[in-house]
Amino acid sequence: MHFLTPVLLWFTIAAAIPIAIHLLNRRRHKTIPWAAMQFLLKATRESRGKKKLRHILILTCRALALAALAFAAAKPVISGLFGWGGGKVDLVVLLLDRSASMEAKPSDGYDARREIVLKKVRDTMRDLGSARLVLIDSATLSPQEVPSPDVLPELSITGVSDTAADLPTLVGKAAEFLSETKGRAEVWIATDLQASNWHPGDSRWANARASLAALPRKPALRVLGLTGASAPNTTLRLLSAKRIGKELQLEAEVTRSDETRGATNVPLTLQLNGSRTTENLTLTGQSLHFQKRIALPADVEQGHGSLSLPGDGNPRDNVAFFAYGPERPVKSVVVAPPGEAVDYLLLAAAPPGFGGQSATRLDPSQAASLSTADTSAVIWAAPLPTGATAAAMEALLSGGGQVLFLPPAKASEDAFLETKWSAPTEAGTGKFFILKDWNHSDGLLRDGTDGSPLPAERFKAIRRQLPLGDATPLARWDDGEPFLVRRVLDRGTAWFLGSLPDYTWSNLGDADVLLPVVQRVVAAGAERFDASYLGEVGGDTARLNPGETRIRLDDFGAPDPANAAYEAGVYRLGDRVIALNRPIAEDFPEMVSRDAIDASLEGTGYTLFEQAGQAADTKLSRDIWRAFLAAMLFFLLAEALLCLPKRSTETSTERPFSPSATDH
Amino acid sequence: MKYDFLDSDLLSRLAALPVEARLPMLGNVAGKHRSPHRGSSVEFAEYRKYVAGDDTRRLDWKAYGRSDRYYIKEFEADTNLRAYFVVDTSGSMAFSGHAPAKIQFARRIAASLSYLLVNQGDAAGLSVCTDKLHLEVPPSRRPAHLDRLFSTLGKLDPSGETGLVPALHTIAEKIGQRAFIVILSDLFTDPQALGDALQHLRYRKHDVSVFHLLDPLELGFEFDRPHRFVDLEDGTSIVAEPTLIAEEYHGALREFLKTVRAKCHDANAAYQLVTTDTALEPLLRDFLMARIARAKH
Repeated sequence: MHFLTPVLLWFTIAAAIPIAIHLLNRRRHKTIPWAAMQFLLKATRESRGKKKLRHILILTCRALALAALAFAAAKPVISGLFGWGGGKVDLVVLLLDRSASMEAKPSDGYDARREIVLKKVRDTMRDLGSARLVLIDSATLSPQEVPSPDVLPELSITGVSDTAADLPTLVGKAAEFLSETKGRAEVWIATDLQASNWHPGDSRWANARASLAALPRKPALRVLGLTGASAPNTTLRLLSAKRIGKELQLEAEVTRSDETRGATNVPLTLQLNGSRTTENLTLTGQSLHFQKRIALPADVEQGHGSLSLPGDGNPRDNVAFFAYGPERPVKSVVVAPPGEAVDYLLLAAAPPGFGGQSATRLDPSQAASLSTADTSAVIWAAPLPTGATAAAMEALLSGGGQVLFLPPAKASEDAFLETKWSAPTEAGTGKFFILKDWNHSDGLLRDGTDGSPLPAERFKAIRRQLPLGDATPLARWDDGEPFLVRRVLDRGTAWFLGSLPDYTWSNLGDADVLLPVVQRVVAAGAERFDASYLGEVGGDTARLNPGETRIRLDDFGAPDPANAAYEAGVYRLGDRVIALNRPIAEDFPEMVSRDAIDASLEGTGYTLFEQAGQAADTKLSRDIWRAFLAAMLFFLLAEALLCLPKRSTETSTERPFSPSATDH
Repeated sequence: MKYDFLDSDLLSRLAALPVEARLPMLGNVAGKHRSPHRGSSVEFAEYRKYVAGDDTRRLDWKAYGRSDRYYIKEFEADTNLRAYFVVDTSGSMAFSGHAPAKIQFARRIAASLSYLLVNQGDAAGLSVCTDKLHLEVPPSRRPAHLDRLFSTLGKLDPSGETGLVPALHTIAEKIGQRAFIVILSDLFTDPQALGDALQHLRYRKHDVSVFHLLDPLELGFEFDRPHRFVDLEDGTSIVAEPTLIAEEYHGALREFLKTVRAKCHDANAAYQLVTTDTALEPLLRDFLMARIARAKH
């Protein structure tokens, strides 16, 4: 709470007037000779306690009434951010979450949460008067002095963005800025408390807290949480865009908010190279995962487009952009000695009729000559690579390539990515190694997009080699030993599978397991070529390299050129064409818990001001002089009631000191 | 008049009303009041059997003729009344708020009733007490005696602490014959002790009347600001805020008056609470009328 005319607070001294009058009155007594002293002494003895308390209450009411009048005259303003304990503030650092989720509208309003909080901050800053306002938004992360709170909602740095917010970094930036400023400062965090933005448990919170604690004058931290129910919303997310021959395969997901029930039709609009088509999607559950194949024009090698839904609770998550380039053949290389296994592997890597897929065998002795530039995947059924070959494989993996390692069929001490093969082992006579459990949602043995599992339980092996090392197991044999493990290196993945598609080893060649496993490796490897056309706003691929310029190619919505770096769309960056979409984490609705906020901001003494909805409060601060006037009236009324003579039934019905009391 | 507490007009208006005794009196001469003894008045009392030694002149011969037995016809004896006015002259009787002082009111009552009593042939005396019974004017029927009594009343100067209770005990012991005792006091003393004193008087078969004199300010206790109250009897003082303690004061006073009245009732004493702003004539008229009515029963 603070006061617009604090000078008038001096009038609170008037609260002492009733007390002074009381004390003076007690001193200015008259002297009177008195006869009925015995009653006076008795009355004085008995009047202590309740009577005295009542008299004190009357005095207190009078004093408080005057104080309330003085407070009302000083025009008090209470701020939800400040609370009652706030005082004068010299500087307010506003940390604005501009992430895409902040464009969600509350269920009772038409403005996005970002706009609501900006208006509230503007109104609060008006009430605060002379306090400076510095804005650090989650997209630019650079402090900007705001000359007047009135222009706050109009600034481009407070506009819409499709980025993700990183709260630990924002708080760290605030601490960094405050280390160079003086005066009493407050840090206001305007956020929708989305867990993916807060990164609870991130080690950077400790650094941010330490930076705040190291400031010469510790700022007050206020978290303005924009929570509450959101308007009904449907989210469109593009999972992948892959060119397969003359078609473009889009894999997307539509999710609707929990409040929606029943089957609904959602019009999905496809815009491709300027042409637009619309079809209906029928949503029966909360989400719909679908693939869409689009025939590409024969004469156009490169193009872009978008999928979009009609406007709803959050207009920023209704569109997904994609771009594609020239067709690339999907090349796989099988490094293995000749044999039955190689045949199966070549067949699985390039099945007949799978357009654009090709596979070649390379003898392990010639592995050094392997060219990885246009290779999607390498299937390695030979002793693990070493030396220059290993370096080439690591380069392939770093660039997004995929390598599937199978047993070399002999014991070897060679290791790759700290993983090596054990010596071959055989099951006992009449016994098999079978798979006990495997990851159904991740890895090469995951269930299909329609939810049907792979028939891996049919897989039997009589010989095996175990991948040994620090890798993530995704499937295990019935004796608990690993069958399939994974090592991730940058954008690529190295897989280790513990048996061979050879009937002296297992029935892996029956294609129930081998074909989907190899095809998934090949498809994931091919994505590195298509992935260069997709990126996330604010991600590494979205940054301009030296000498590059950013040109927006699509005309979806109303692009703001000043915010081009933070908006989703299809851009030409130099000679690259890339479709940038909002980070996938922005679609996660999970909120950060109060405990997680406590842990993240531990020791900062922060206060959380949760703002639910648009209609709940129009301002973060409000003048409360009326409340003080009401308080004054209350105190005066209480004083009047306390001053009322106590009704005594005995006194009213019997007055024994009436002169009529005679007894003859 | 010579004495400012006497109102001749009032006395002349009240002269038509006799001062009656509620109980039989024992006087030294014949008068208009009943005596406990049988006498020669015209008021028939009772028959009783003749016993040897009775005056044969008092035999009722008509009764003898009807019953053939000797009966003595007895008549009420009429005697005069001796009244003692006990005036409390302790310091508290000097208090006056917005009305005359209590002692002045006591003077007027005592003087008026004395005059009426002597005027009807009864004797009136005065006992003045402060901390003890310190002055007495013996009762007398002579009109000239009134001057001495009035003079004494006029010179009363209230001071010191009250000694009403021991004074009443002394009076009860000293007055051998039945008498009419009028107590004029604010009774600011221990009610229990006062009750004992009144019982003592009752035991001596005295007809006791109590005029409880209080100032209206003492009853109302209406002040609008704090005051330092100085005790008129012992000089001690206390600063108090009457608005704060009025309720407790009234409660204590109410309890006191209730107790005093009960004590008077127990001792068969006629009790009358009188504020000093009361008009004297209706007060005395009611007092006398009530006694007349009581004497006839």
